[in-house]
Amino acid sequence: MIYLGLIALATLLANGVTRLRFIAVAFLAIAGVAGLISAGVAPSQDVALTAAAGLAAAGILFVAARDGTYGEDPGWRLWLGTFTAAIVTPLAYASFRTISGEPTALPLLQDGSGVVVEVAGTWLLSSGVAIMLTARSAVRASLGALVMVTGVQLLARLAPEARLATTLALAWLEVVVALAGAFLIVNERAVRDA
Amino acid sequence: MTVAAPALLLAISAFAAFALRKRVAGVAAFGLAAIVIAFTLVAITPVDTVARLIDLDLRVSDLGRLAGLILLATIAMLIVDVRVDAPAYNFFPSALATGAVVLAVLVVSSPVVVFALLVAGLLVPVGTFTFQVHRNRSVEAAVRHFSFVVLGGSLGLGALALAARLPKDQPATTVVLLVVLLFIAVALMLAAIPFHTHAALLAGEAPATALALYFGVLVPVTFIAFAGILASSGLLPEIVQVSKVQDLLLAIGLTSAIGGALLAVGANDLRRLVVYAVISNLGSALVGIATLSGPGIIGGIATALVTGACATQQLLAAGALERRAGDDRPNVTHAPLAAGMFIAGGIAMIGAPPLVTFPGHFFVDLIAYAISGFAGTALVAAAIVLLIAQLRAGVRLFAGSPEGWRIEPRPVAGILGGIILAALLVGGIVPDAFLRPIAAFADEFLKALRPL
Repeated sequence: MIYLGLIALATLLANGVTRLRFIAVAFLAIAGVAGLISAGVAPSQDVALTAAAGLAAAGILFVAARDGTYGEDPGWRLWLGTFTAAIVTPLAYASFRTISGEPTALPLLQDGSGVVVEVAGTWLLSSGVAIMLTARSAVRASLGALVMVTGVQLLARLAPEARLATTLALAWLEVVVALAGAFLIVNERAVRDA
Repeated sequence: MTVAAPALLLAISAFAAFALRKRVAGVAAFGLAAIVIAFTLVAITPVDTVARLIDLDLRVSDLGRLAGLILLATIAMLIVDVRVDAPAYNFFPSALATGAVVLAVLVVSSPVVVFALLVAGLLVPVGTFTFQVHRNRSVEAAVRHFSFVVLGGSLGLGALALAARLPKDQPATTVVLLVVLLFIAVALMLAAIPFHTHAALLAGEAPATALALYFGVLVPVTFIAFAGILASSGLLPEIVQVSKVQDLLLAIGLTSAIGGALLAVGANDLRRLVVYAVISNLGSALVGIATLSGPGIIGGIATALVTGACATQQLLAAGALERRAGDDRPNVTHAPLAAGMFIAGGIAMIGAPPLVTFPGHFFVDLIAYAISGFAGTALVAAAIVLLIAQLRAGVRLFAGSPEGWRIEPRPVAGILGGIILAALLVGGIVPDAFLRPIAAFADEFLKALRPL
């Protein structure tokens, strides 16, 4: 429960800040909380690998900003994104959760059943979709993309097969998404500054 | 390791090419050498060779080897064209990374890993889409492409991750929702109609060779991977029980086939025509997969593979014509050989015999008629509209007297187009070599459809 609150706050923070460098730091917070959530259901080397990818992605965005002024003001889109995620998450969780016939416990910290992982993953996926659909430039498009990939990383934690290979592939994907996003941010800025 | 070696070689080469990218001549030769070595390794690795890397099963399939060889040959041609005709230093590392992703996707067995690799691969050309950013909207087009790919990729990965942990006997609605999400994700990544707006913008703004890397290599491999993911994800037996899911795929395919053909007939430039023709052909191929039948699957995959080759042929020709035309409308007088190959590529694109593009279209049309008269008629109508679009472009291209036609200097697009045409012709004369590996995959697909 506490982790779900933390991930919601971190997402709101990343969604609300206007400067790219702050967005990078807020994304690091999202990746950190996602790492804490997955620590309960995944081996430590998998969690460390994903955390390293999150750190690299945040670092790439931070460097791409080049100075502290560049960014994108979300304005009313912040609330549209947040409310969309808040509505979609319970709907998606109710539609896709696995049917075991047993009541699902929602623990305060430990998450042996994977329910917190599933809810947090769905929250990040729907938040990322909302951020991306309302983005006006490569800055928030990159944030939305990274938030979605982090959500996918959480959901993939529960898949039974090829766990290390899946973790590795998704970690690489996160870095590639950050690099492509940074490349677009730099080019978009060059066009705007011209 | 022999199974993974070609992909690893190209991945390492991509990093090396990135470090040396400013030395265009050297890096082009290096890239070409890496592709040739990878091609040889793929060609000599026996079918059904298996390996285990980390905790991942790898296997060389008949289709994987065929598609790997065709797509590597396509990348090699693109490297030659960029080196000789349109030097762009950021193209070579992208091409090598694309080759690595293609080979990895074709040997990996885990659906989630395949999908993650595909998304990463579809993002690689972003670096080649942006070109002369102050003079066009290529950055906007690249941002839109990035958004569509990541959106589709994340939704698809989420659906596959959830599907992988589903125990048996789940409610039908859960499976239907996951499959619908997966179909929409793939439609976003393939630029199927109505998710084609990023492709339309790209067609107008990105360089022709970058478009060829995307539509000639990555889009066909995405299609093949989609069929492979369906077969390996365990969702097929559920799909076959719910007719609405099959109908959804059929609807996406038919909309793309007809919509792409109509957009192609209204296209006012050569590159848009090619891109819309690819979208139309992929729609037909999706219809083939949606029939969940042997001929449909063979026809669908054959169409996707050869459409990539035709798109490469036409896009290289269109790029050469546009470069030589400058601010004028491209015309045969600017580059007669390239213009001829553009027309040849158009004929191949519509699936005319005796080229190898014919059997795929024929199988899909035939099985679509067997499934539904409307679907079959719609596909034939789409092919006729596409023919009109190609004829219209040909008439515009060849308007005027032939007196001024002189073979262009450095006719690399024309020569490469001729090689592709010869390959399509040989494939049409000996179709068995091309269709047998696809039939082997169709057999595996049908076994996954109805497990014993």
